[in-house]
Amino acid sequence: MKSKRIHAVFLLFFLNSVLFGNQQKTIKDDLDFPFVMISPPQRIISLAPNITEILFDLDLGEKVIGVTRYCDFPEKALKKEKIGGMIDLNLEKIIALNPDLIIGFRGNPLRTIERLRSLHLPLFVLEMGTNLETVFIIIEKIGTITQKEEKAEILAESLKKRYNETQTALRNVQHEPRVFLSIHGTGLWTCGKGSFLNDLIGKARGVNIAGNIPRKWLHYNREQLIHDNPEVIIILSKSETEFSKVKKWIKNEAHLKGIKAVETDRIYFLDENLATRPGPRLIDALEELARILHPQFFKEER
Amino acid sequence: MKSRTKKLRLLLVLLILLVAGFLISLLEGPVETSFHDLWNLIINNDSTFRTIFIDLRLSRALLAFLVGASLSLSGAILQGYFQNPMAGPFVVGVSSGASFGAVLCIYLGLNIRIIGFSVQSIFAFASGFAIVSLVYLLSQRKGVFKVETLLLTGIAAGALASALTSFMIFLKADSFEQAVFWLLGSFALSDWNQITAVAPYFFLCFIIAQWLAKDMNLLVLGDDVAQSLGCPVSSVRKIFLAISTFLAASSVSVSGIIGFIGLIVPHWIRILIGPDHRYLFLFSSLTGGIFLLYSDLLARTVLQGELPIGIITAVVGAPFFIYLLSQRK
Repeated sequence: MKSKRIHAVFLLFFLNSVLFGNQQKTIKDDLDFPFVMISPPQRIISLAPNITEILFDLDLGEKVIGVTRYCDFPEKALKKEKIGGMIDLNLEKIIALNPDLIIGFRGNPLRTIERLRSLHLPLFVLEMGTNLETVFIIIEKIGTITQKEEKAEILAESLKKRYNETQTALRNVQHEPRVFLSIHGTGLWTCGKGSFLNDLIGKARGVNIAGNIPRKWLHYNREQLIHDNPEVIIILSKSETEFSKVKKWIKNEAHLKGIKAVETDRIYFLDENLATRPGPRLIDALEELARILHPQFFKEER
Repeated sequence: MKSRTKKLRLLLVLLILLVAGFLISLLEGPVETSFHDLWNLIINNDSTFRTIFIDLRLSRALLAFLVGASLSLSGAILQGYFQNPMAGPFVVGVSSGASFGAVLCIYLGLNIRIIGFSVQSIFAFASGFAIVSLVYLLSQRKGVFKVETLLLTGIAAGALASALTSFMIFLKADSFEQAVFWLLGSFALSDWNQITAVAPYFFLCFIIAQWLAKDMNLLVLGDDVAQSLGCPVSSVRKIFLAISTFLAASSVSVSGIIGFIGLIVPHWIRILIGPDHRYLFLFSSLTGGIFLLYSDLLARTVLQGELPIGIITAVVGAPFFIYLLSQRK
């Protein structure tokens, strides 16, 4: 029984290479593990929301059979089978879905990634990166692994174009405002050096007041915040209502009254789902942040 | 005679619980499976079901059992050793020491395997052992060995190791999810490698403990009395301390810190069958294994997703423990 199946597989390989001249190709993922590419994957599992978004943008939505419970965009992704969260992946479900490609992300714990490998699952892991440009690389890599190179090229190019347009629009910026970026709702969590959010602020021509601290995520000191006196506060949140809550909290905090951003009411909302996922919509976040920080350069469009 | 039937009855109950536990563990999971699927696996050797049943569920159940047995045996030994009901793998600093080693490994970014063992396990093992040796040496004064000093030094050293662990976790907030694993324990990612890393130690230590159980019964009478009855007190003590450390460190290195179990299970057994270590070791190991097997079953079925198992062991174990204590005459 088993040997028959193996014969059949060999025959398929043979036919494949004779008819299409397709050679099986091995490429390495970002953790330096080899991945053997045979035919275009038909059953894809995505282990992170940004990867799901890219897959759908590459017209691979139909081939996606499993996503995390955080994958909420595009709406069609909500209907896909859930394989757990990014951290608590459900191994049983992944195996039962019988995928031929699992795209992981470095938001997934290393131990989980190792466990998936030890179960001999077809896993390809992508690194998160420390800057915006990583998005283009991620898209191209997903294009390669799913054998959708052309489509990925087009997507990456169109995003690069928008990215360049923003940079051009901002070329005459004289003053880069000091920015405090609030993440995780209440409290003073922010991003430091080495996080791609820090790069996002820089590319939108602002200065992250925590940008010199060599930690990706950190809890900012209130005293320090008052001392650094940011001109703009950006609040990453899931919704406008959540944003208003945090904004209200900051405005009512007596100690923070003297901060320039609070005085001049330059406290803005930025959609968390756009900004925190290194996927195609990160460019939307860049455009939005650029408009918030430097509205004068975008007047004609809005 | 009466106590003999009591023990036999308890053994029977435990064995039934054990078999039932393994069966439920095999059949319960996020993917719906039935007896029929299990039968299919045996007959047709379907590869998807083989992975789910054997590589995921069976390995997980076995590991939970082995870790539970190891921690409880370690606790039973330490309680006898110190003549102190407070003793357990936590108290002498082994658990905290071992998790310190594991987290240090994550912090340094070491992620390789040496002959099948991950470096993390080796680090956990080494640092757990180092802490206990240090505590042991510090609590000897001019060749005289004091139990209270050892307990207190153990608590202090354990607290220091935990603090350093938390500090490293704080600095490396990016890999926080791994930290939760080391602090609260989980079997979510168990595999056969981990079983081969625990099982040999457990069985070896169990055999040694069982072999020396009579000597432990003598130690309970006091070192002087034991010595006069022909027990080589100081070497027996060293061996017991070594194997209890081995058991706890090897458990922590595969499952993170799982609290409470090493402390309470030996107490249950002592209340149920009395203080004879020849039975206490066997029954503690068996009960601890079964207790953790069922706790893990709860941890992965109560909610969608996984609960850290440390929460379950405490929530289930503590009230039952208090009940047993209150029933004691």
